[in-house]
Amino acid sequence: MSTLSHLLSLVTEPLGYTFIQRALLSCALIGFTNGFLGTFIILRRQALLADALSHSLLPGLAVAAILVGLSPGGLLLGGLVAALLVALGGQLMARNSRLKDETAIASLYIIAFALGIVLIRFAKVKVDLTHFLFGNILGVGNGDLWVSYAAAFLTITLLVLFQRPLLLTLFDATVARASGIKVGWIEAGLLTLTVLGLVASLQAVGVLLSLGLLILPAATAYLLTDSFTRMLWGGAFLGLISSVGGLFFSFYANIPSGPCIVLLLAILLGIAYLVAPRHGILPKLLRGRHFHEESLERWEGHQGHDHDVPQRKDEC
Amino acid sequence: MLMVEDLTVSYHRVPAIHHLSLRLGGGHCVGVFGPNGAGKSTLLKAVAGLLKAETGRILLGERDLAKAAPRLTYLPQRESVDWDFPVTVRGLVEMGRYPHVGLLCPFSERDKEAVTQSMELFDLLPLANRQIKELSGGQQQRAFLARAWAQEADLYLLDEPFAGLDRGNSGTLAKALQKLKELGKLILVSHHALAEAEALFDTAILLNGELIACGPTAEVLTPQNLECAYGTAIFSGGHRHTHA
Repeated sequence: MSTLSHLLSLVTEPLGYTFIQRALLSCALIGFTNGFLGTFIILRRQALLADALSHSLLPGLAVAAILVGLSPGGLLLGGLVAALLVALGGQLMARNSRLKDETAIASLYIIAFALGIVLIRFAKVKVDLTHFLFGNILGVGNGDLWVSYAAAFLTITLLVLFQRPLLLTLFDATVARASGIKVGWIEAGLLTLTVLGLVASLQAVGVLLSLGLLILPAATAYLLTDSFTRMLWGGAFLGLISSVGGLFFSFYANIPSGPCIVLLLAILLGIAYLVAPRHGILPKLLRGRHFHEESLERWEGHQGHDHDVPQRKDEC
Repeated sequence: MLMVEDLTVSYHRVPAIHHLSLRLGGGHCVGVFGPNGAGKSTLLKAVAGLLKAETGRILLGERDLAKAAPRLTYLPQRESVDWDFPVTVRGLVEMGRYPHVGLLCPFSERDKEAVTQSMELFDLLPLANRQIKELSGGQQQRAFLARAWAQEADLYLLDEPFAGLDRGNSGTLAKALQKLKELGKLILVSHHALAEAEALFDTAILLNGELIACGPTAEVLTPQNLECAYGTAIFSGGHRHTHA
């Protein structure tokens, strides 16, 4: 009994502090939202683009810090503008020169990152670069919490509302365009939400690790299911529990929250990679080297009927 | 049903299709033939509204292309599809109903019936819950046709659907196209092999940048026309006017 109450107090004790409550709420919101959004980014194959965008937030944050100090609204706007400039600039450069788009975007984001490090020196308020790079979840203020609420509400609402055209676009943009969907708008919207998700997760995990909350939960869910809906909500759920769990762990181990959250997500990804029932590598190996079931199944399907399938002979 | 008038489509000012006009009715399975670069894919993409026409216009029924979107369906080349996408056969066919149900409305009885009926039509019911990668090539093509059918499309545009299919799969795909034709649909198929053309298509379009012939397959694929399509350089005729 005493162990149980001790365990319970491990969870309840930190909850007594307001800054922990705020951090926890913020983490839960962002973990859930970015886990949800991650499915769209992965299926659109834009994980690396999202990485580029996360680095390009930095000059925007620096300019915001120079102009208006560390207000959450200013940082949000600064990061949003900087990332969108890099994304659009990359597209423009790729279209008007010989450079392919991944070269153009990679060039721009690394330039932006360097520029950001330089600009931060000029901020009037004292800014700790490591806070921007790795986050400082325990410093979440009420303003930051409002940003989390807004980002979560906006992202989930828009993604649920436009789920059908989004799904068609993700699956095949060409076909979606032919059936009358405004693919350009859908893609621009998704890009904006990605940047919003990255900015919103700054406090929790920082610029360098913000990609983790966006990609890892959805990647884990992708290995576990063949259903779009389950991947969507599963990613959100994994993001939520890892963010909250990582935060508790960081509190007790006295390690920064960002790496804790990302490493917890990494463990889940590792487990899924190994033992996911259909797509994990261990079940695949254990299934044996001959795929009798698969080929028979394929053959049955080929006939389109259950009957007139010859009985399967026992292996000899 | 489909009317193409004086259509020119260019890539970077080089025309891929040049002043092409045709008129096709429903209930035909039409093969689009021609050498590489003759504009087969370009014609399909232009009709699908994916490429901008430089001159001319395309009408579907009496309506302009932009307003006819749900009535036509474009089937991509197989290699452009992400077969790992987390969607089952049923999910894929349901996508065909999206233009009809709007953003958030749940599927009505009629929508559900349309989904089941189109899976039945293409012999997909036993495969309904399979992820799309677990299908054979022919089944995958049929799943896309079922999606188009659920969309209630009248015009089917297929870009090289027979490429990479073995004999058996080609056979089932041909049967499925035949079924669509009998149900009064218009099917446009780009195809590069001339063998078995007459068995697959009742009508043929022969292209070489410009339209060489359009009509019943046997009358179009004559040695003379083929010589003209494959034996001469594209746009060898010369032609004096400038485009905007």
